[in-house]
Amino acid sequence: MDFRFDIVAEYMPLILRGTLLTIGFSILGILLGSLLGLIICVGKMSRSKFFNLPASMYINFFRGTPLLVQIFIVHFGVVPAFYGKTQVFIAAVLALSLNSAAYTAEIFRAGIQSIDRGQREAAYSLGMTHRQAMRFVILPQAIKRMIPAFGNEFIVLIKDSSLLSVIAAPELMYWGKVMQTQYLRIWEPYLTAAIIYFILTYSLSKLLNYLERRV
Amino acid sequence: MGAGGKRGFHKLPLMTACGGAAQEKVYKFATDAAYSPMEFMDKDQIVGFSPEFLALVMQEAGLKYELVNTGWDPMLEFVKQGTEYDAGISSISITDERKETYDYTVPYFESVNMIMSKKGSGLTTAESLKDKKVAVQNGTTADIIMSEVMGKDNPNLRRFETNTLAFMEMENGGVDAVVADIAVIGEYLKQNPDKDYEGHIDPNFPTEFYGILLPKGSELKAKLDPAIKKVVASEAYKELYRKWIGEEPNVDNILKAQEQG
Repeated sequence: MDFRFDIVAEYMPLILRGTLLTIGFSILGILLGSLLGLIICVGKMSRSKFFNLPASMYINFFRGTPLLVQIFIVHFGVVPAFYGKTQVFIAAVLALSLNSAAYTAEIFRAGIQSIDRGQREAAYSLGMTHRQAMRFVILPQAIKRMIPAFGNEFIVLIKDSSLLSVIAAPELMYWGKVMQTQYLRIWEPYLTAAIIYFILTYSLSKLLNYLERRV
Repeated sequence: MGAGGKRGFHKLPLMTACGGAAQEKVYKFATDAAYSPMEFMDKDQIVGFSPEFLALVMQEAGLKYELVNTGWDPMLEFVKQGTEYDAGISSISITDERKETYDYTVPYFESVNMIMSKKGSGLTTAESLKDKKVAVQNGTTADIIMSEVMGKDNPNLRRFETNTLAFMEMENGGVDAVVADIAVIGEYLKQNPDKDYEGHIDPNFPTEFYGILLPKGSELKAKLDPAIKKVVASEAYKELYRKWIGEEPNVDNILKAQEQG
């Protein structure tokens, strides 16, 4: 197979700029998504229907519909409704955050609920309050269990951020597609993009492995 | 392996193929039928200017063919390899960079671009768009022209997957103008008369042509080029142009470009 390294080199500055944006979108997406996910998780675990139902509906909607459609809804619907016009960077971060919140909410819930009831009962019998039991007994164990699933979600989010190219967010895949149409060649842009996504996700999984051992 | 039965079974279609008087090759053309009105899907049929033009050309050349909607990326790889497919026809602009990888037939269509902006905005020329926000479809002649004017890495030049998305961006205030093929803008303006937009042609826009995409060294070029020249100069081409583009064609530029090869 003939592979034109010269056109990859020509596009490298743009691809690296796109990569920075991909990293930025993904980190903001997972951070804001986790914050929102935490709130939704509390809602979902609540016994009150008033909190429980909206949280369930949120999770079902964002987990059950394609991210591509969510990106369009956020970019052409939600952002113009609040901001007056489209703003691709806001839409990009918002779409990723809203989507990852649904997944992280379930990761948090699964982590907390995976801790045996006996642990909580033991904490109460030592005279701990609910808050203390959470802080010193449940969460330290739960967080360790959440890390692999959380890392999984982060990795998926990095790769899914490539969908943002449809709204012309100039991230990694966007520049790959621009390169593709200039030369009408598919392997140079897509394999280059794939290698960079792999470097990002592989470094992240190494980092998460390290964290898992340390926590 | 049950070889006997299988072998007999395989021979049958082979023999009929050899026995036919005209052992004609059926040329396979790939397209990305997602660019109205040039080539697009009407339910499960590929329709538009390009498929009807191709029919005229292949009739003129006396060749059998088949047109398949493969999508954009697969089309590129299929044509580059040149084994399963023989050519691609999909409103593909002829550029020098692309010629490094492919051969093209002679030009068969002149892509005239139009600027769509708000009425009274004064955004009527490429120069006036220099510091504005502009939406185009990625890889179109409009993209090539505006990349030249605004700079390839200019963040204000927004390249969308489709013109439909570029129009939506305009409707939602994300850009000041959309640049696209005249037929595309014309169709949009016709369907959205309530919008406060108008189209402008900048006479200084460089001329871009579409060609049929071929693998390097394709034998098909020698067969298609004369047929394309004949069809473009014919009355049937003009009819086709009126039917799909809705304007009176001026083929002088195409014929001139064909002369230059």
